[in-house]
Amino acid sequence: MALIELKEVSKVYGFGDASTLALDEATLKIEKGEFVAIMGPSGSGKSTLMNVIGLLDRPSHGSFMLDGRAVSKLRPNQAAKARRDTIGFIFQSFNLLPRLSVLENVALPLAYKGLTLSRRMKQASNMLERVGIQEREYFLPNQLSGGQLQCAAIARALVNNPKLIIADEPTGNLDSAASRLVMELLAEIHKTGNTVLFVTHNPELTRYATRVVYMHDGCIIHDEKTALGQVAATARKVLYTLSTTSEDDDLAGVSALMMALPNKPVARPDKKTVKRRPAKPTVRRKTKAPKKNKAGK
Amino acid sequence: MKSLTRGHLKAGFDSVRRAKWRNFWTMLGIIIGVASVITTVSIGEGVKQQVSDQITRSGKNLITVRPGTLRSAEAQNGGNINVLSGLSITGSLLPDDIAAVENTKGVSSSAPLAAISATVRADQGRYQGGMVIGTTSDLPALLNRSLAQGVFLIDDDEGMNVAVLGAAAAESMFDVSVPLGYTFTINGEEFIVRGIFEDFGNTPLSDQANYNSSIFIPYDVSQQLTKNTAVIYEILAKTNDTKVVDSTVTSLQKSLQRVHGGQDNFSVLGPDETIASRNSILNLLTGLVSGVAAISLLVGGIGIMNVMLVSVTERMHEIGIRKAIGATNRQILSQFMIESSLLSVSGGIIGVAVAFVLNGLMRFFTNLRPVISWEIVLIAFGVSLVVGIVFGSIPALKAARKDPIEALRIQ
Repeated sequence: MALIELKEVSKVYGFGDASTLALDEATLKIEKGEFVAIMGPSGSGKSTLMNVIGLLDRPSHGSFMLDGRAVSKLRPNQAAKARRDTIGFIFQSFNLLPRLSVLENVALPLAYKGLTLSRRMKQASNMLERVGIQEREYFLPNQLSGGQLQCAAIARALVNNPKLIIADEPTGNLDSAASRLVMELLAEIHKTGNTVLFVTHNPELTRYATRVVYMHDGCIIHDEKTALGQVAATARKVLYTLSTTSEDDDLAGVSALMMALPNKPVARPDKKTVKRRPAKPTVRRKTKAPKKNKAGK
Repeated sequence: MKSLTRGHLKAGFDSVRRAKWRNFWTMLGIIIGVASVITTVSIGEGVKQQVSDQITRSGKNLITVRPGTLRSAEAQNGGNINVLSGLSITGSLLPDDIAAVENTKGVSSSAPLAAISATVRADQGRYQGGMVIGTTSDLPALLNRSLAQGVFLIDDDEGMNVAVLGAAAAESMFDVSVPLGYTFTINGEEFIVRGIFEDFGNTPLSDQANYNSSIFIPYDVSQQLTKNTAVIYEILAKTNDTKVVDSTVTSLQKSLQRVHGGQDNFSVLGPDETIASRNSILNLLTGLVSGVAAISLLVGGIGIMNVMLVSVTERMHEIGIRKAIGATNRQILSQFMIESSLLSVSGGIIGVAVAFVLNGLMRFFTNLRPVISWEIVLIAFGVSLVVGIVFGSIPALKAARKDPIEALRIQ
């Protein structure tokens, strides 16, 4: 049984003329133990897909089975409990609470589960040891480097023993050394049997993944398995994933991708009544800081 | 419930501790509210006790006749606040009433109190500090007070220009410490000081407070001085036995009604009614003032709500993170509820402490003897807690219902 089973899942933001289709009938099946990289230009719906899979957002249409359970219509509280028990989040900007110590941050999911204080602290401390920053457990987040912060965030994501780890550009704010550290850590987690999903713009990082999914305009346009330690074949050819994410580069990248793909229909027949996203995705576009990733390492 | 409070209590404590000053200003409303409610009520209680102590002192068998009707029963009937009904004074007491009271069955001793307006001159120049009261020899016995020096007016004094001074009056009129035998003038006529009252004590809201600075002269002399225009504002009467007080009040009422030609423009108050009539006015005042204080408690609650609303907006990102890692709406709700309750509870505690300090200061610097009862402390504290919970729930709900993605997007 697949851990994640998305069937024709769509997500529409806004109403009427102002509506945008962030996710367009995406169908995706991820088995237990996979290490999936998700790539695509800005505004291609990667984050929306992550939010839907991570139960932060409810899909507008379609069905979603998470670990054999239909979760597309969960109430907010049920979704919160499911997030707590089965999903660990890792964010690009770490998202640790600035006023809590690293240990308290890591112990927070356990607090919401209702564990006693001593057990919380013990488990959190063990988890910090596992990610290698136990000696920093009483530091505040602003006293740690970016790589250490992301390690702490990973510890927080792992502390509940979730089946699924979702990382939204986990290396986006890190230099290459810290990126490698974080990715090695994720790879280690993957080895212990967890399913890991991560978004990245850096094709080099696909060498950690067992599978790469490409997105564009809310559609999953390509899906390939790769061998561990190998950069995905398609990702190599796709220029848009290199250092910048400006709009022109995105478009260039997409055409490059289209040419790279062997005999795959890219444009879906435009049968829906819902307005397609305009070519220039200005509505929900995130402005990203220029990437520091030196891809060629 | 365990999972509801565990951890969030600490989270609440942490964020309250974090912004000490802002939280202090937030609590100020509650502090002032609680302190002023407790203080006003305790002043009211204190005065009530002082008044009843004083009446107990003058005896459970003292009957007071006053002009006008003090419709105390009406003023007290709950809910209907009518300031004037408690205070309306119509009509006056007549000279004939004195004899009528004296001759009523059951009355063992009685004395009129007639205030006159007069110019008093003594060693220290003109004395304007107090009233000149015409009365008779029974007054010290009726008030259960004795003289510090000399003797009081006696029945044989009728027509003689003798006077007994209150302690404060004696002090401010004469240089010497014991001015017995010294003379002063009232409206040009010379009076000899016969005696000096002991200190009546200083009780707020009571006639006896004035006695300290009053000059007592024989009743008939006061009528001669003013050509029979002295106003009798009170007649005090006493029975031998406390058991006959009620029946004596009734017979006094009847005999006075006869004198007044069937009109009911006077009141005869037994000891309990005297307390009741004072208390009715006091309760009214205490109610009004503590009502105002309660409004400040309410305003304090609104202050807490505003600060919590700001806090929720400021911490939207934090709420998003907490939700993303699995906090349910209820857990977020309880975190913010605990925070606002904590604010109002600590405000309440500080308010109670401030009230106790104010109480001490008043006892030290004024003649008020406020009494803080545990009931009012609990009530004020409870109200502040309720205010915190009620007004804290609005921002807490706002926080709990926030969509996690939206909250995460806000930086």
